[in-house]
Amino acid sequence: MSRLSLPLVSRPVERTALPAHLYVHVPLCSSKCAYCDFCSVPDDGAISHADLVTSTVFAAVGWQRFGMEPAPLQSLYVGGGTPSVLGGYLRMLLTGIVRVYPLAPGAEVTVEANPESLDARLVCDLVAAGVTRVSLGVQSLDDGTLSWLGRAHDAERAIEAMLLVAASGLDLSVDLMCGLPRVPESRWRATLRSVVECGATHVSVYPLSVEDGTPLASRVRSGRAALPDDDIAAEEMIVAAEELSALGLARYETANHALPGKESRHNTAYWTGRPYLGIGAGAHGMLTGEQARLAGLLGEDKAARTARVRYAYGSDRLLLDGACEVEVLETLDAAEALREDAMLGLRLSAGIPFELAERSGVVPALEALEADGLVERAGGRWRTTERGWLLGNEVFGRVLDADGTPPASPGGFDARSARVLSSSGTRQA
Amino acid sequence: MTDPTLIRNFSIIAHIDHGKSTLADRVLQLTHTVADRDMVEQVLDSMDIERERGITIKAQAVRVMYDADDGRTYQLNLIDTPGHVDFTYEVSRSLAACEGVILVVDAAQGVEAQTVANALMAMNANLEIIPLINKIDLPAADPERVRHEIEEGLAIPADEAVLASGKTGEGVRDALEAVVRLVPHPVGDPGAPLKALIFDSYFDTYRGVVALIRVMDGSIAKGMKVRIMATDTVTDVEEVGVRRPANIPVDSLGVGEVGYLITGLKDPSLVKVGDTVTLAHHGTTTPLPGYREVKPMVYTGLYPIDGDQYPDLRDALERLTLNDPALIWDPESSHALGFGFRVGFLGLLHMEVVKERLEREFNLDLLATAPSVEYHAYLMNGSMEIVRSPQDMPDPGYLDRIEEPYLLTTVLVPPEYVGAVMELADQRRATFKDMQYLSATTVDLHYEMPLSELIMDFFDQLKSRTKGYASLDYEYIGYRQSNLVKLDILLAGKPVDALSFIVHRDKAYARGKVLTEKLRGIIPRQMFEVPIQAAIGSKVISRETVRAKRKDVIAKCYGGDITRKRKLLEKQKEGKKRMKSVGSVEVPQEAFMAILKVDE
Repeated sequence: MSRLSLPLVSRPVERTALPAHLYVHVPLCSSKCAYCDFCSVPDDGAISHADLVTSTVFAAVGWQRFGMEPAPLQSLYVGGGTPSVLGGYLRMLLTGIVRVYPLAPGAEVTVEANPESLDARLVCDLVAAGVTRVSLGVQSLDDGTLSWLGRAHDAERAIEAMLLVAASGLDLSVDLMCGLPRVPESRWRATLRSVVECGATHVSVYPLSVEDGTPLASRVRSGRAALPDDDIAAEEMIVAAEELSALGLARYETANHALPGKESRHNTAYWTGRPYLGIGAGAHGMLTGEQARLAGLLGEDKAARTARVRYAYGSDRLLLDGACEVEVLETLDAAEALREDAMLGLRLSAGIPFELAERSGVVPALEALEADGLVERAGGRWRTTERGWLLGNEVFGRVLDADGTPPASPGGFDARSARVLSSSGTRQA
Repeated sequence: MTDPTLIRNFSIIAHIDHGKSTLADRVLQLTHTVADRDMVEQVLDSMDIERERGITIKAQAVRVMYDADDGRTYQLNLIDTPGHVDFTYEVSRSLAACEGVILVVDAAQGVEAQTVANALMAMNANLEIIPLINKIDLPAADPERVRHEIEEGLAIPADEAVLASGKTGEGVRDALEAVVRLVPHPVGDPGAPLKALIFDSYFDTYRGVVALIRVMDGSIAKGMKVRIMATDTVTDVEEVGVRRPANIPVDSLGVGEVGYLITGLKDPSLVKVGDTVTLAHHGTTTPLPGYREVKPMVYTGLYPIDGDQYPDLRDALERLTLNDPALIWDPESSHALGFGFRVGFLGLLHMEVVKERLEREFNLDLLATAPSVEYHAYLMNGSMEIVRSPQDMPDPGYLDRIEEPYLLTTVLVPPEYVGAVMELADQRRATFKDMQYLSATTVDLHYEMPLSELIMDFFDQLKSRTKGYASLDYEYIGYRQSNLVKLDILLAGKPVDALSFIVHRDKAYARGKVLTEKLRGIIPRQMFEVPIQAAIGSKVISRETVRAKRKDVIAKCYGGDITRKRKLLEKQKEGKKRMKSVGSVEVPQEAFMAILKVDE
């Protein structure tokens, strides 16, 4: 009888690391909102919380079986769905993930929550699990509007939840919707002020968009719901930027406003082309060509020509061992990735340095946009103007299209586009 | 050669959808011309589009051998005619190749506009008319009522009308017996010089032009030298034959026989429908009557959506013209649409069919401008200019008057819809001529109206205002003076040539207003404000504005959104490709069609 001992593994010095940003998707919601087309299912007990936590952690472990080292996480984001519906299991999930993917010092750890499933006990759990930031789906502080949207909470509950998070010392980010029917401007301004007064240091403002296949879309189609004109949404986005900046929250991205230093580091990674790992049913991730090759998502030749790979987990629940179909959505070569950096950079108020504009070959497109008053130059950078914020698709479309070659079509290159990643590291077709 | 007394040449005529082609199919089956297992629905309608739409565009001729009750075997030549008013001339030539017709009337629908028009044509050609009441198997069939309508409305005795069902085959033999018994056999002089009527032609890639002919006098055989009279073309007979329905070569065709003629000619414009074939030496000097040049009545601009397809469009038009000499086209260019062709058609159906064939068979994406008619513009100096496109309209300062083609239209409708028809006719500048009751359920209305009004979705309107009951037929009655003006549409201050149209002055204001309103709904908001104006000369008669777009952004752009966003931007780009840039304004294709459907 000999004692079981760990084998000594000699590690190569320069191993490819996994991304330093991690997104974990919890595809459960207490109920489905009328406008939502995200990957989520009602939390009706069909999927046990324990199984969900187990399979997600196994899936996270699975990524380490490809010969890549976990990099200390700069940011971890648990989104959904509504992670807060997991209650006590949320802490287990966070603990498990962080065990596998250690956090770098000062890492940002965000959890999405909805007011109706956030209580003092959950907030305590989050603090204990090392969470630093809560993103709260408030959407509106008008009860009529909230029920029109199919939200499960009312304004009072939303205010309680905001106050609770703020009191715990966690950073509070609040999502609000504009472009909703029958909201007078004074009310919209009051809502913006209220969320900041309740302690939000970060506010995201999205115009309501009607997505195919949602109950809202069928209500709109049948004429039972009327949506306000785009002009009203535009006006409200302008008002939001004005009101929030007066309260010290500056716009740093198309739809995001924050106190200095409270900008979302995780989301900023998305907007600056950093690779990130996405885990969970319906989750998306972005890898370098090399990382995708090691994970078996791309062949060697393709990987060599690829700078950026986006993949998605299938929307079916994970198997208990974490296995799930993973599909390559798109691959970008170096030139396409640069253009994408330029496009995403223009969504940030900081804009992009001249140097990136030149390297990505988008200068002629920017000059044309400048003539239309949509972008401007300042301090060695190109950045979007006030008008450009609202006509973003014009800006982004023309930048992405700068040289006219479309990016490689997803899945068109070989049969590797669909893979099964499992915790055991074996990949079944 | 067959004894002419054993030949019967006949045609089946009907209103569209009354079951003509199905009935023809049954004749082929009953006479074992086509084996049951080879029977494709509607054998004679061979083009895909014909089969899909259930219409006949080209004439067809098929020979069947029929063992009659009298114990003799007859050669029956069934000439299937185009079933649409656009092809009236072709129908008249096909009828000229026959001695009789079976007039098919739907047992439920009864007599309709084209029933009347076709019956009149057959009467004018002095043909024996055998009425046949079809679809008697339908639950709604009412043969007694229909018999009455035929007698009252068409003055054709119908007590002996054949009752038949193309679907079940019932009565088909009765119909053929009636043909043998009632249709006169052809009469001609076998000793006279050859006289044969070309009643249709088509182009075969290997054999060149194939003409369908009916021999009136003399005979035609392989190796002869013949002259095609109107085009004065002398050529050799490479082959003659009969269609069963595949081409079967024969040594010769004699008096009364129907078949095909191959000469090796490659130019379809030399072998025209209605022309006479005779001997090259000592031929006849008197051609068969009734030949005329076919003239297009409706014109439209056809433009490839992708400018690179312009040469392909030209090739496609050249190829279609081989089979369809009635199609004429000239290159034209538009500031808004680039290079294209002004194409002339016999009528609206002809236009639709050609456009569909160009898109389907030649894989082209086409944009068609509003159809126009051929206007005659008389200038102060006495000269006349032909105007086929609004762009050709002379400056009003030089203009004395404009004339436009007029039609005599026949509308058959149940009495309760007469009011609706009158209201529509009133809006379309139609002049009421007369009205009569064909029966208690059918009123026959006659109007004179400009062709330009008919091509503005008149038929659709007529159908929708009469719950589909009205049927329509028309004939051209010549040019008449009208007070017409050219209406320009300006986008962002610039006239868009492809949106201009010619309209009666009294209606210009209303139409300009409706059209600018409609365009406001069609033209998407752009980065700047786009005024839409309708103007006659320099006078603006209506104005709408597409407000500048203020917001067009996807605010959410996180991990998974980036791929979605890229796809969306690409879709937008595709959408933009489907639009035409007119100056700085992106104009969707529907805008160019909006002029067609304008309800005042």
